[in-house]
Amino acid sequence: MNRYILRRLLQALPLLLGISVASFAILKAVPGGPLAAYEASPDINDEDIRRLEHAFGLDQPVPIQYLSWLGRFVVGDWGYSFVSHQPVLGLIGERLPNTVYLMGTVFVTVLALAIPVGVLTAVKQYSWFDHVVTGSTFGFLSTPTFWLGLLLIIFFGLQLRWLPLGGMATPGAAFDLGDRLRHLILPVATISLVQLGSHVRYLRASMLETINQDYMRTARSKGLGERIVVLRHALKNAAIPLVTVVALDIPELFAGALVTEQIFGWPGMGRLFWDAATRLDYPILMGILAVSSTLIVLANLLADVVYGYLDPRIRYA
Amino acid sequence: MRGHRSFRVLAVAAALLVLATACASTQPAGGSPTTGPVKGGTLVFAIWQEPATLAPNYGNQTITGIVNAVAVEGLLRTDTDGKYQPVLAKAVPTEKNGGVKISGDGKRMDVTYELQPDIKWSDGRPFTSADVKFTWEAWMKDPKVVSREGYEQIESIDTPNDLTVLVHYKTIYSPYLTRFGTIMPKHILEKVADISASDYGRKPLGTGPFVITDFKAGDSITVERNPNYRKKGQPYLDKIIFRSVPSREVAVAQLKAGEVQGMWNLIEAQLPDLEKDANIKLSITPAPGVERIEMNTAVNKDGTDPNSVHPVLGDINLRRALIYATPKQQIIDKLLFGKARVGSSPVAQGWAAPKGLTQESYDPKKSNELLDQAGWVKGADGIRTKNGVRASITITTTTGDQLRERVEQILADEYKQIGVELKISNMPSSVLLSASWSAGDPRKRGAFDLDMYSSTPDIDPHQTVNLRYHSKQIPYPGNGGSGQNYTRFKNPEADKAIDEAGSALDLEKRAAAYAKALTLLNDAAVCIWLYERSAIQAFRTNVYGYVGQVWDGITWNTEDWYMKGTAPSY
Amino acid sequence: MAGSAIAVPLPVAPQAVQRSQWRMAYERFRAHRPAVAAVVVLGALAALSAAAPLVSPYDATKVTLAEIYERPSLAHPFGTDALGRDLATRILYGGRVSLAVGVLAVTVAVTVGTLVGTMAGYYGRWVDSVLMRFVDMMYSFPRLFLLILFGVFFKGMTFGVIILVLGLLSWMTTSRLVRASFLSLKHREFVEAARCVGARDRRIIFRHILPNSLAPIIVAATLGVAGAIIAESTLSFLGLGIQPPTPSWGNMLKDAPTEMNIAPWTAIFPGLFIFLAVVSINFIGDGLRDALDPRHVVSRRG
Repeated sequence: MNRYILRRLLQALPLLLGISVASFAILKAVPGGPLAAYEASPDINDEDIRRLEHAFGLDQPVPIQYLSWLGRFVVGDWGYSFVSHQPVLGLIGERLPNTVYLMGTVFVTVLALAIPVGVLTAVKQYSWFDHVVTGSTFGFLSTPTFWLGLLLIIFFGLQLRWLPLGGMATPGAAFDLGDRLRHLILPVATISLVQLGSHVRYLRASMLETINQDYMRTARSKGLGERIVVLRHALKNAAIPLVTVVALDIPELFAGALVTEQIFGWPGMGRLFWDAATRLDYPILMGILAVSSTLIVLANLLADVVYGYLDPRIRYA
Repeated sequence: MRGHRSFRVLAVAAALLVLATACASTQPAGGSPTTGPVKGGTLVFAIWQEPATLAPNYGNQTITGIVNAVAVEGLLRTDTDGKYQPVLAKAVPTEKNGGVKISGDGKRMDVTYELQPDIKWSDGRPFTSADVKFTWEAWMKDPKVVSREGYEQIESIDTPNDLTVLVHYKTIYSPYLTRFGTIMPKHILEKVADISASDYGRKPLGTGPFVITDFKAGDSITVERNPNYRKKGQPYLDKIIFRSVPSREVAVAQLKAGEVQGMWNLIEAQLPDLEKDANIKLSITPAPGVERIEMNTAVNKDGTDPNSVHPVLGDINLRRALIYATPKQQIIDKLLFGKARVGSSPVAQGWAAPKGLTQESYDPKKSNELLDQAGWVKGADGIRTKNGVRASITITTTTGDQLRERVEQILADEYKQIGVELKISNMPSSVLLSASWSAGDPRKRGAFDLDMYSSTPDIDPHQTVNLRYHSKQIPYPGNGGSGQNYTRFKNPEADKAIDEAGSALDLEKRAAAYAKALTLLNDAAVCIWLYERSAIQAFRTNVYGYVGQVWDGITWNTEDWYMKGTAPSY
Repeated sequence: MAGSAIAVPLPVAPQAVQRSQWRMAYERFRAHRPAVAAVVVLGALAALSAAAPLVSPYDATKVTLAEIYERPSLAHPFGTDALGRDLATRILYGGRVSLAVGVLAVTVAVTVGTLVGTMAGYYGRWVDSVLMRFVDMMYSFPRLFLLILFGVFFKGMTFGVIILVLGLLSWMTTSRLVRASFLSLKHREFVEAARCVGARDRRIIFRHILPNSLAPIIVAATLGVAGAIIAESTLSFLGLGIQPPTPSWGNMLKDAPTEMNIAPWTAIFPGLFIFLAVVSINFIGDGLRDALDPRHVVSRRG
């Protein structure tokens, strides 16, 4: 197992390098540049643009630009935003906790709800509970996230005025737990409901498959109570594929839900990426892509390792 | 007994009198209160766009100026009628008062600023002429500064004493009054190797009424009263919090709920809703920006030859027909709720705005007449052709702008009626407006037919008018893509007028020269001036002191703002 | 065994079982009631969209400034939008675009995925290794980020470009399924038998293995259409997808955050139709999975 992990980690490095080269190539192939932001200035003239292009290294050949970025990146200098001149690491550091805060809550909420609901619907298959859950999970996973977010804002924010329309907290106010929670509810609900839809279905299908296995019949015939049978035997086995799915959710913890952050004005990684993408602010984009692709690679590895660990039938060479 | 009773009557009368006076003095009469400014309170001002930086030398967004105006000041500023008034300088230097001297051969000028005495930076250190000189040096030394416009025309600066600044220009630089609008602190920045890496971008130090004390990214920017501010007793407000909200709609909702007391930059569509609210007052001022459509008179080709002629748009009759077919007033009435003005030139406001200049108004019948006369014949599909060329053009604007997209679709419809096919192909602003030949700005490279965007000239329009309408400013491969004359407009008389306006100092002479150039521009029918919008801000009725003005943002006079009644204290 | 004269019929058994398997699958599908209902709903949506000019008297792109933001009424059952255009008509025409993008994007994804999966699964060894590394790399790209970059990339997101981009970013799942199927099937007896009688690779792949791999591909493709419709609507919502004036369900929601205050019906109805289409597709996919899952066959016999 350890050799497997080592091998995968070693393979990850060229993979990540390849991704960063490809990303940079795509970014550079896009026409336009970060200096479009300066158009709004009434003062700016062509010499200014040329000077700025030189100051940002944009007039050098593309491979040189990439190599100089890479050279600085690996020693910890992630560069500065072309638009705000703030250090990229600093900007990411500012936004990352907010995204983890939001997506972490989503992660916990989804897990806490998906497992009991998934188990119950499988155990009580074809009951009215199952039908209601099946209907709503299908419904939620078929809903575009942004539309759900808008509907929730219209209903709870504008019509009923129960919940705030956006942001993390009331700014300027002292820290208040209730205020923070009220701001969390709608964005968490938006993402969680859609994710719950798919996770519950996944667990339900997995549970149904497990419950009908022969070894379950054996466990029951041993005289064990139904609850123990279900929880200890069925769930543990059914949960294994779910673990994979959950592990793959981890990169989302850090990359954030871009559209949700946009709609709710959540100052997170998703919004940082969007602002940088529309302005073609390369240093920020490269930094974020590096972070999220690393996380995806590591999460895939984690999923495979945990799966291999939990399921004795799988053995890695 | 009698004495007691009369005393009681007197007492009651006196009480009634006092009561009446008290009631009278608390009657706010619609606009200004009778009791004068109240000191104290925190005003929360909603901004739907967060500034990327607050440093005046790096900032290029409007919101940067809105926020840093409360803290960073310059030598002069404009007031509500577009005239300059002194801020850190004692007087506005002109030729008449001896502040401006033309030297020897008439080719150079020297400008003398006398500074106000006893001005301190918000950290208590004295403000001197050395700071002004340092600002120029820093501006010229820093490779990342946004624009060196004007500062590169300065030969040297002398500071004979702490309160005098003598600026030697290399040429006659007409827009000299626009320079030194923000001064940087020498004592903080002189030792800093790279200002862009310092804290200056988040919390620039200044001499203004407020100090920027906290910048919480994505959340809010807090500014507090400057204890060393030169106007005693001001500012009235204790704090202003610029709250970052996700969108204008959220800002409106929060304003209506009283969670914020002011909001920045509404759009016309939000006015009908807010006009009905008795707790909200609006500040609407004409803005100097003009939304326009430019027509490419050269061939639509990447790296086009400025001497080529566009097969469709090269015909002035077709261009005029397009202008006749543009329903400007209808667009303003329906899409902008009537709260904008029909455009007529690129310089909408100020001393240089050509008075009485107009453009063809909506008359599609005339369009059809012109096109018929010019030999554009309607085909079976309703689209005209002439000499085998089909009247089909493409319009390009920035993606994600609902207003512009609606205008495009209206125009596509209208132009179809006069037999011109208008196709729509938008691109992100990072491409369309990149203003860079190497980054592929299609306007520069001539790879467009019609483009639509908005541009705002400075109070001194020379930069804009020269770059956009002088024939020497046509970008093409031979000159490295220099210049912003996207329409490829060439008129030697207009060139002469523009040169004249740029080398004179007398405002009247310059205004006449601009008027001549812009009239010639309209005669050539290469631009459609769509509309001039207004800057709209909204405040709760308990906020006073703000005054909208054309050239600066609403925060130009925050030292005069105050609030009455309940204000949340954070 | 290079017998050219010996005419031995290729094993026909899998084919025969397949035919009756398909019929059994069809019957299982019919038993799944929600799936059947979903077929009706989706069919209605597709039919109405295809016949849009016949169904609606209005023009989907004509601007009528006099009628902007009208509430739903008899004349306009879903109201009008920001340019006075009938919303119901735009939804019908939008359905053409959204449904077509969904189906075509999946076609691209399935084609590419099948190609890659077949080569990896059949030829194995280093071909498999290289291709799977490539799949890993594609998986490791943050998908929405890439979609956005592509959106900014192409100067005008045309119909064809969007289909290509969506397809090229979602073929990986199909490739994994096909590869797994090939890896397990290529050592089965019927394949050995086919090889024995000299069948070439191409014949084995197309006539023997691929038909037996269809079931998971079909299910994945169906669910892929749902995913593609949502992806297109998200892209268009962000302003990077289908450009106006062509309506698509996603780009009709582009200005919803601004408009939901003044005209909530413009925000509700297009989203509702996305929801209906996607829910139907998901139910159909569920029904197909039940119908085509070979395990069902095993348990029936057992």
